[in-house]
Amino acid sequence: MSSLLTAAIATLIFCAPGYPGAAGDAQPFVDQFASAAAASAGWPAGSLAAVYDPTEAGGLTRLASPEAVLAFVPYPFFVEHASQLHLTPLAQADVTGTGPTERWTLVARAGRPAGPQSLNGYTILSVAGYSPTFVRQSALGAWALPANVRVESTGQILSALRRVASGEPVVALLDQTQAAALPTLPFAGQLTSVLQSAPFPVAILAVVDSRLTPARARALQSGLLKMRRSGDADMLGSLHLQGFVVPQLPDTKTAQ
Amino acid sequence: MSWRIALGALALLAAGCASTSGPTTQPPASSHEVSPAELGAAIKTDADRSEHETDAQVRNDLAAQADQSAQSCLALAPQSVACLYGNAISLGLQARAHPTRASEFLGRMLDVLSKAETADATYDEAGPARVRALVLVRAPGWPLGPGDADAGLAAARRAVALRPQYPPNLLALAESLAKTGDATGAHDFYLRARDAAVALPATTDRDGWLREADQGLRK
Repeated sequence: MSSLLTAAIATLIFCAPGYPGAAGDAQPFVDQFASAAAASAGWPAGSLAAVYDPTEAGGLTRLASPEAVLAFVPYPFFVEHASQLHLTPLAQADVTGTGPTERWTLVARAGRPAGPQSLNGYTILSVAGYSPTFVRQSALGAWALPANVRVESTGQILSALRRVASGEPVVALLDQTQAAALPTLPFAGQLTSVLQSAPFPVAILAVVDSRLTPARARALQSGLLKMRRSGDADMLGSLHLQGFVVPQLPDTKTAQ
Repeated sequence: MSWRIALGALALLAAGCASTSGPTTQPPASSHEVSPAELGAAIKTDADRSEHETDAQVRNDLAAQADQSAQSCLALAPQSVACLYGNAISLGLQARAHPTRASEFLGRMLDVLSKAETADATYDEAGPARVRALVLVRAPGWPLGPGDADAGLAAARRAVALRPQYPPNLLALAESLAKTGDATGAHDFYLRARDAAVALPATTDRDGWLREADQGLRK
């Protein structure tokens, strides 16, 4: 009996590489989310578990296990790994203060020439740097980057911006929250925004490798979409969420 | 991307930063009977108890008690390093008790730690710089929180310069180096922290420092 119950529990993997929060810190919040989402979907209590992993490698390992049924990941993670993990979007996060989509901004040292060729030999630093595909083809898809441009992941965006301002051959690709806060930096005058992307989803909740039956997936999607109206505002707020919307993924070629 | 798991991190780091190895006196019954040093010691006691407390209500009570002691202390001696440092620790406890306001409390904590460091940088074995380093290194960074790994590294170096054999200072520097990408330097200072701790008499604190050093060396 217990093995049957165990088998019925779906696990949702939260993974947000580069963003603050350790697994232990986050667990109470994702536990609450799992309970509320299951209730909203009409699933039995305890049938949805959740785990948070702050690293790309850790998230990939967890998502590869058969217990991982759902993934809640930033859009760059989705772009980088959707094919490999067979992710099917179920809902798109509507984020407090940002909304369901966000634009990314490329920041360079003020006064330097703008344009893709000016990045010859440069390194692009970003919290989304773990997804070169997203950086090159989505966020900076409007530019044909020189072949020798490197993309690096960093969780220390303030340090990255200091390096940009000091004249090192680096630029920073900022998410919308970071870009909006740029004027608050004491050295903001030494920085300039050279390119802004089209809007892209902030985060996606997806089914992993068709491990959820279509009926359960539909029920969960319906439950997620109505969470904002069902008294879950406080719980969603603790994750900086307002709710979910139907996923609308951009066509990479037309998003610029 | 703004959806994030930051509140828990802020709350827990506050507890870790506030942890001290100070005396374990009971909270003073009345501020009229006690000195700034005693009030500072009472705050440290609250911090130690809070670190091991799992009941949120008890943590809230300890944070409120520490805040009361800090305010009494500051009323007695506003420039005393014991009061400033105690105030900083109490703000860390409040950050843990009120996670939705953690960023605000940690910002104030950093301000007060600056004043404490100016008043007496050697207090609590270079505590103001050490605690400052841990807050800056562990808190979510700009623009989500007051974290600043570069500034944290600088603060940790100051603590080590003042008290180079005190294991928590070496551990703070190791953690700062790891956070700023210097894995070799971090390993070196975890080793130094371990050596420094081994050289001390056996205590509960020493066991904790050894554990932390060993955990760092395994990374």
